[in-house]
Amino acid sequence: MNADGRQQVVDPVPDADAEDAVASDRGGSGGKRQMPDWATSAIRLVLVLVASLVVFGLLLVAKGANPIDGYRAMWESVTRDSTAFGDVLVRAVPYLLGALAVILPARAGLFNIGGEGQLVLGAIGAMWAADALNQSMSRPVTLVLMALAGMVFAAAWAAIAGVLKLVAGTNEAISTLLLNYLATLLLGWLVFEQWKDPGSTGFPRTRALTEVETLPVLFGRVHIGVPIAVLVAVGVWAFLKYTAWGFQLSVLGGNPEAARRAGFRTGMLSMGALAAGGAIAGLAGMLHLSGVESNLRPGIMVGYGFTAVLAAWMVRQSPIRAIVSSFLLAAIAIGGNGLKISEGLSAAAVNILMAILLLAVLGWGVRPGARNT
Amino acid sequence: MIEAIAIGAVRGGTSLVFAGVGETIAERSGVINLGCEGSMLVGALAAYAVGIETGNPWLGALAGVVAGIALSLVHGLLVLVRGANQIATGLAVTFLGLGATALFGQSYVSQGVEPFDTWAIPGLSSIPFLGPVFFDHDPLTYLSFVLVPAAWWFLFRSGSGLKLRAAGERPGVLGTMGVDARVSRWIAIAVGGGLAGLGGAQLSTAFARTWSENMVAGRGFIAVALVIFAAWNPVGILVGAYLFSGAVALELELQARGTDVSIFLLAAVPYAVVIIVLSLLSRRRKFAAPESLSTVFDTSVVRV
Amino acid sequence: MQRNHSRAAAVLIAAGLVLAACGSDDDASSEPVTSEGEAADDAASEGTTAAASGDACGTGATKVGFIYVGSKDDFGYNQAAYEAAQEMGEAVGVEVINAENVPETIDDAVPVMEDMIAQGATALFATSYGHFDAAVAVAADHPDVCVVHQGQFESSLDAPLDNLGTYFSSVFEPVYLAGIAAGTVSESGTLGYVYAFPIPQTLENINAFALGAQTVNPDAKVIAVATASWCDPGKQAQASQTLLDQGADVLTQHQDCTKTVIETAEAAGAYSVGYHYDASALAPEGWLTGSEWAWTDLYTDIVETMIAGEFVESEYNGDYRFGFRNVDAPFVAFAPSPFGPAVDEETQALITETYDKFFVDEDGDGIGDFSVFTGPLADRDGTERIPDGVTPSYEELDGFFSEPWFVAGVEGSLG
Repeated sequence: MNADGRQQVVDPVPDADAEDAVASDRGGSGGKRQMPDWATSAIRLVLVLVASLVVFGLLLVAKGANPIDGYRAMWESVTRDSTAFGDVLVRAVPYLLGALAVILPARAGLFNIGGEGQLVLGAIGAMWAADALNQSMSRPVTLVLMALAGMVFAAAWAAIAGVLKLVAGTNEAISTLLLNYLATLLLGWLVFEQWKDPGSTGFPRTRALTEVETLPVLFGRVHIGVPIAVLVAVGVWAFLKYTAWGFQLSVLGGNPEAARRAGFRTGMLSMGALAAGGAIAGLAGMLHLSGVESNLRPGIMVGYGFTAVLAAWMVRQSPIRAIVSSFLLAAIAIGGNGLKISEGLSAAAVNILMAILLLAVLGWGVRPGARNT
Repeated sequence: MIEAIAIGAVRGGTSLVFAGVGETIAERSGVINLGCEGSMLVGALAAYAVGIETGNPWLGALAGVVAGIALSLVHGLLVLVRGANQIATGLAVTFLGLGATALFGQSYVSQGVEPFDTWAIPGLSSIPFLGPVFFDHDPLTYLSFVLVPAAWWFLFRSGSGLKLRAAGERPGVLGTMGVDARVSRWIAIAVGGGLAGLGGAQLSTAFARTWSENMVAGRGFIAVALVIFAAWNPVGILVGAYLFSGAVALELELQARGTDVSIFLLAAVPYAVVIIVLSLLSRRRKFAAPESLSTVFDTSVVRV
Repeated sequence: MQRNHSRAAAVLIAAGLVLAACGSDDDASSEPVTSEGEAADDAASEGTTAAASGDACGTGATKVGFIYVGSKDDFGYNQAAYEAAQEMGEAVGVEVINAENVPETIDDAVPVMEDMIAQGATALFATSYGHFDAAVAVAADHPDVCVVHQGQFESSLDAPLDNLGTYFSSVFEPVYLAGIAAGTVSESGTLGYVYAFPIPQTLENINAFALGAQTVNPDAKVIAVATASWCDPGKQAQASQTLLDQGADVLTQHQDCTKTVIETAEAAGAYSVGYHYDASALAPEGWLTGSEWAWTDLYTDIVETMIAGEFVESEYNGDYRFGFRNVDAPFVAFAPSPFGPAVDEETQALITETYDKFFVDEDGDGIGDFSVFTGPLADRDGTERIPDGVTPSYEELDGFFSEPWFVAGVEGSLG
């Protein structure tokens, strides 16, 4: 997938310039070979996709279900009408932004598995801002402030892991993971006790957002978070590619020793990357609250943070291609409804398909020489 | 109250001990496996299902081990043969376990298993405090008492353990001696998966005595966190597992006593304890980490 | 699993093991199942005509969708709803499509219901408390589809919808009756309650359980601990152990999956009281009794009303809160489970007697006069919560518990 030569050297930064590599591939850099790089890559990806579908189908057979019917049910759940397609787009938003929250720290060599918690904190922050503003501002101002609050809350949450790493050397993969459980309980505390809507006679949720606190809708249930998420993906790509900070992050991720010798403030860089990742996840939490759920309630976005990790790694941390992977995973997730209803299978079974896809991509998605060794 | 918490610590901690010791062995060889959660899930289901089909919880536990190993081999294949990123692979393996158990476990939700009974050890179980805390449990809990020193001895006193640790510390040196670090790692991954499976089996057939979707509920991830806490030492795992589970028991105990604190804040206690203790110990722990493992977290792969 | 409830609509079922058995026999013989099938056919043909005129939602429905928050085999809330849905399908002659494990968020539940509508369902049941907002959203988008929700109040909306309904029954009276059994058999006088979250329904149950037990043992106490999860068996096991260690010799629960608590109690030689569903098979020794949902008749009547095109003007279009004590209620959707061996004849008789008291309606308002929550009722700190002379109606009761409180004798954190 990378441009010529890059895959021969030890590539410290997984697929650092993958998207421009795609561009240069198109420019014919693979001309020395009989088949251009993009073609072999594409064939490889198609094979990976097909193999994953076959393996999942075999598991359905083992369960006693008809895989053809299963796939048809999934396909119909996703494609039956614009509403279904819209549901996929809406679901892809937290997956994509959650993936970007993984990708940005990963450039600095940090593993953020705290997307779950950061998404929740984003929603909490947005709700807090909405309450604080109390409809005193116009809709755009309210929404922007809600987004900012969500981003700040989630960035601060992620920064806990950053601080622990900086001060105590605590591994961030573990601390972000543990923080997820605390975030869920914090949400429970808020919706069951602190922020419970008094009008709901004990129903565990906050009040519903009002008009000025709700995202504008493009069509059906598709809110403007969808294009925003895509813009953020492009922004992250540009940031990593064109800014000094982006460069420093890549150096840090590739060779921490070199980064230190170059005089980078590595601690602050790591911290910044984690916090920035958290902020992006927090934006997703705000968009999801304001665009979809309206009330803060228990169980909001459960599992999305983990799925986002899959989305990030499925495309080897390319911000641009994460748009595709999150859409694909969202389609699988929504397609799972079809399995659930028509085939009576557990919707969680689609986790298998997501997992196999990622495993196939991780193991066989690229030429052996281009692997991240 | 202290006794009740201590009993709760051991009862609830056993599944974590199995999974944590397994993960310790895997990480000692230089491989981190977040698929631990998935291995616990498949172990829990396999033990439950086989326990139901055969009526014998021991066969169930064996099936749990086999299932845990089977899933961990997927991790091994990706990481050792295909050179994939360990953390991403581990997470995907957990998703695989979650999905597979949701798919195949559906029909077992309604069935009851013949569970492991409690074996009070004659004599010992009547010792004040120690008796109820340590000697009034299901047989798998006793097995965990044996496992911890055995794993310690294996890792730090046996020849194979030395090779396994060398695979985690200096795989290159091992290579010059004509020993393939990968063999040690394959074995370590399999043992880790098997023990995680056994932990799941303990959860479903001895402790909670039920199967429900995603019933492991993060215990496998906690086990991975405990490994750092324990400085890659099985004895530390025992301490950490009992600390976590003791914190759960404490939380419930505080609730039962009507402590004037929100149940959500109380429920956060065990996780907060792990994070805080981990942070307090992390500086020291860094030096205890198997060397090739330290590269894992740099989003890279096993270096052989 | 032995189920003791009548399939006949519009007949009051007596409950309790003995009573229920007699009741269903009588009802079943007086109104054979076949006649229901015909009734359904009639309704369906009427429905077709109504559909042609194209007025009400769900008219002539042939497919009914049900969503559940948990597994249909959870020995609990979801299994009770699932089985009733299948029985309704057979009784009415409609196809029932199901989706288990549907999370209580708009994002998850709405697409599932949309999918069901796309598959031809024109009547939907959202069976969990937290599915309410999703049910409202779907109802608003699909005026031709009847959506009913189990647990919340439609009246809480600013603008009620024609095609939306909410229904629920009361659950705490049978829990109170079970409390009598628990208070009688308990030697320690300490009863354990494993619950999930402090919501009104749960708090009502815990308090009712304690009040029931205190009728036979004034010193009886209930220790309540929360797991902060509707189904985390590991945490349930640990919570059960905590309660047993505290001296509880009867365990009960408000969880969606109920096996762990019952099995743990049984293994420890303690008694257990079931909830949501008859799980007596899990605990042959220690099972006392329980309270279970019996939704079949209600589901059947709701669906038949929809098919006939009469949903909009029916009582189901709104808050249908029929309580246990509704003397002339067409359905008793909540019933005590069978008694276990530990409950002696005397106690059974006492429970039956108390059961009957619930239906004595001297003021003739259709609701039994004896209520578990008649004021004055103070919380455990002595603050008056329900004033003297006040008996909250079913509609009002949740409001009294929107701030959590426990009666004297209930121990456990409230936050």
